Amino acid sequence: MISRRLEDWITERYDVEGLHRVLRAKYVPSHRYEASYFTGGLTLFLFVIQFLTGMGLALYYVPHSEYAYKSIVDITAKLNMGWFFRSLHHWGAQLAIASLFIHFFTNLLLKAYRKPRELIWITGFIMITVLIFFGLSGYFLIWDQRAFTAIRVATGGAGNLPLIGGPIKIFLRGGIDVTQETLTRFYAFHVSILPMISLIIIGLHVLLVQVHGMSVPISQKDKQGKPQPFFPNVFYKDLIIWLLGIGVLATLAVIFPAPIGAKADPMAPAPENIKPEWYFLFLFQTLRLFPGQIAGLNGETIAITVISLAVLFVFLVPFVDKRSSAGKPSPVYTYVGVFYLVYFVAMTVIGFLD
Amino acid sequence: MVRSSFILGIVLFLITALFNYAEPAPADLAGSPYHRHIIYQALILFWIGIIGLIVIIVMKLRETKRIQDMDVHKDAEDAPFLD
Amino acid sequence: MKLDHSLVSRRTFLNTIFGGWLMAIASGGIYAFLKFVFPTVGKEPDFVVLNTADFLDIPGNTMKTFAWGGKPGFFLKRDDGTILALKGVCTHMECNISYQSDVKKFYCACHKGWFDDHGRNIEGPPPKPLERFDIVITGQKLIIAKKGVQVDLPKA
Repeated sequence: MISRRLEDWITERYDVEGLHRVLRAKYVPSHRYEASYFTGGLTLFLFVIQFLTGMGLALYYVPHSEYAYKSIVDITAKLNMGWFFRSLHHWGAQLAIASLFIHFFTNLLLKAYRKPRELIWITGFIMITVLIFFGLSGYFLIWDQRAFTAIRVATGGAGNLPLIGGPIKIFLRGGIDVTQETLTRFYAFHVSILPMISLIIIGLHVLLVQVHGMSVPISQKDKQGKPQPFFPNVFYKDLIIWLLGIGVLATLAVIFPAPIGAKADPMAPAPENIKPEWYFLFLFQTLRLFPGQIAGLNGETIAITVISLAVLFVFLVPFVDKRSSAGKPSPVYTYVGVFYLVYFVAMTVIGFLD
Repeated sequence: MVRSSFILGIVLFLITALFNYAEPAPADLAGSPYHRHIIYQALILFWIGIIGLIVIIVMKLRETKRIQDMDVHKDAEDAPFLD
Repeated sequence: MKLDHSLVSRRTFLNTIFGGWLMAIASGGIYAFLKFVFPTVGKEPDFVVLNTADFLDIPGNTMKTFAWGGKPGFFLKRDDGTILALKGVCTHMECNISYQSDVKKFYCACHKGWFDDHGRNIEGPPPKPLERFDIVITGQKLIIAKKGVQVDLPKA
């Protein structure tokens, strides 16, 4: 009947059977570490949820220093299920970033970055920066005391980068201080600029994954099981992971509703015990390791330079890890990856407990 | 097949929606104990829905594996030509 | 009674409950999302309270504007002293209208619609007359109310 006629309408114009053939030909390797293949899809799924809840919230949020805080209180208190969607958006951000770090470290340790997948690594790395900036800009839009101080510190810290620090600080702040201009700018980033960039970069990233197929760890190359067809086997498993993801997300959103502090006052002192968002904690703990002055040079600048170099190193790891690019086991870089992971987790935990 | 799953979907949705209309007002702030109970009830229903869906997907997965392990396509390759 | 063969194939059964269950959950989620993005609509006021002194003594053939929620309300005093209160919004596409005292008509600039000094649509695209209000004068208070609305003022 109708569904048959709709089918015919489409097949008369488009090669659906050809599409089916392409989809049926997609196979996924099977080995001991195949669970790592689900990390990317979960991150993407959580990201899509952020887009949807964000679009809903953007219908009501007012990006002006005078009204921003109140618009969020109105969303939480006055709108139908407003508190729920704001809470979903808040927790969705935490889970998406956590999932992204899991995805990142998994692929670092399994050396999925090696030849021929260097571009996937590069685009993925850009996505980490984009997602963190999403988190930072979104957090600032709340315009409560914590958010205001957080951005002062974050942009002030960025100002400590050698040479480029000053211009970056002015660019981010929209001036020399954190004001309404900063809010407008961060809003533009959060709802327009960053979404556009992520659509393009994620599109590239996923496309390249389809082109190259899934990477098999070097140690597992000769120990693989039978490859699984993506449709429907692995797709169903993806769905299960995503459903559990939604379940956890909704539970967190309901049991721990998104917090909001006192309205931002640019003149008030920083609140007691203030901490940045958890995904920045490792950075700030690292900064604290460095003394104020080292051999007459600004300790902050040296600290940030060291951190930047460490980040740059891991960004370029596909090009420096020559052994894995040649298909040979590369235990040195496994230790490097483990070091980065342990450092990140330890510094985050210490920062939390401090 | 599409029609029956459509009907089943509407039926299941209406059953869950009945729970919503059993209470007088939608949840506003998760503050008062009355509203908190509605929220937890909704959460339980939600998890039942998720777990149910996961169970169904696992059933579909096992069925797919059963069919695939029959090596349907391999038969065709080994078939001798009738010349 | 036991059947020899199942009424549906295993595949049909599985796909039906999968699709149905998925749709139930999805529609619940979409329902919640729609409730969120459709705002609860505000209302126009049922009545507004003005000062008699500000309005009753205006000269003949003049119109004074008052606030009706976010829209303009028009208080018109005709040449013969009779008064009329109506909503100053065109019934065509909701543009704000004006009073042209030289021709004693209301004019809508958007599509050149005209209303007479009783609010009736006489020329141009407007399909209906302007919405008229009841006027109630109690001493110092001039109350403009929507037609048919009972005004209960609190004792203040």
